[in-house]
Amino acid sequence: MITPDREPTAVAPRLSWGARVAVFTRMFAVQGSWNYELMLGPGIGFCAEPALRELPGGPDGDAYRQALARETRYFNAHPYFAAVAIGALVRAELEGRPAAQIERFRTAMCGPLGSLGDRLVWAGWLPFCSLVALLAFGLHASPVLVVILFLVLYNAGHIALRAWGVSTGWRSGLRVAASLGAPMLQRGPQYLARAVLFLAGLALPLAIARVVGRRGLEITSHDWRIALPGAALLAIALAVLLVRLPARVEGWRAALAVLAVLILTSIAR
Amino acid sequence: MPIDLYRIDDRLIHGQVIVGWGQPMDLGFIVLVDDEVAGSEWERELYRMGVPPEMALFFTSVDEAVARLGEWRADPRHGMLLTGDVETMRRLTERAPAIREVNVGGIHHRPGRTERLRYVFLSPEEEQALKAMEARGVTVTVRDVPSARALRLGELSGAAKTA
Repeated sequence: MITPDREPTAVAPRLSWGARVAVFTRMFAVQGSWNYELMLGPGIGFCAEPALRELPGGPDGDAYRQALARETRYFNAHPYFAAVAIGALVRAELEGRPAAQIERFRTAMCGPLGSLGDRLVWAGWLPFCSLVALLAFGLHASPVLVVILFLVLYNAGHIALRAWGVSTGWRSGLRVAASLGAPMLQRGPQYLARAVLFLAGLALPLAIARVVGRRGLEITSHDWRIALPGAALLAIALAVLLVRLPARVEGWRAALAVLAVLILTSIAR
Repeated sequence: MPIDLYRIDDRLIHGQVIVGWGQPMDLGFIVLVDDEVAGSEWERELYRMGVPPEMALFFTSVDEAVARLGEWRADPRHGMLLTGDVETMRRLTERAPAIREVNVGGIHHRPGRTERLRYVFLSPEEEQALKAMEARGVTVTVRDVPSARALRLGELSGAAKTA
């Protein structure tokens, strides 16, 4: 069991429902002031602000000013998982914890929240939803339906994650590590990765079949003489480009981008 | 090769360390040297969350790090020693002359610090401490990820601008 330096109060401090709703809705703009100097910091301050108004002395008090300045400093994490930090930091502020402790807590949360978000959302949920949409396309859903399906599915997960995050952070406070160790979060990326591979195998041939059409590319022997060297050159050019591009461009992202271009041209045709 | 990298990074454990350096280095263990983290259980729990289960993570104070450095350097796995600030690394290098090279990986904005690079902000005291390390023969390089070019301290000062 994790015992913080000072036991957190067993009961969460009071926070009005108005402030809770304001904190939650502001989280959709958490990246609004993103910059290289403070990263997500100003966003964290902006989201926490409605709750900080309930500190002793109100919005004109010293406690409010100091807390807001503290919460606006440098912070870097995944934008959705930042919800956990916002919940936990608001609680720590309302509990009146020492400034130094809150600052160390902020720093300590960046790493785990960032790496969880990268693995679960960018490398898991996003490609999963993309491939579900691609599968729908391969099964001859209309383009508009494909887009709507993607947006609804992706955002259902995204909004649920933010809601879970802020309430988990609020309930756990400084003891949030225990909640982040939940098996679903730790194993989730693994399961999602398997689902992504399965879906890719299912969706890619179907989507390509729809793009190419039932009769396939009716290529004559004359076309082959141009098409083969052309395709080889294009593949080499793409490979060189991929190696040259920053390490962020991973194989699956590049593959999805090429597919998206293919589908868009087939729709436009 | 025991400890391959001695790094200053105020974010301590995060993606750049685990993935950016961890994968190309085939990192087997991390030594996190920070007196306060070593003494705070909830902080240790949080940092442990960011490390994959197959990677070992040791939390130590500066004193313990000085005492155990030889043991980690003899470890067959590849390792990284991490401090959250310049001051901790300065104290460590003064007492452990075996450390010949220090990597500045990320020191971010705080009042009193001036921007030197997008990921390096230094106070005058921190800059002095880094220069003092160099004067003692420790090679100080600035590099966030392995794919970036390693800069020397002297290359930063020229690009100095006020934050």
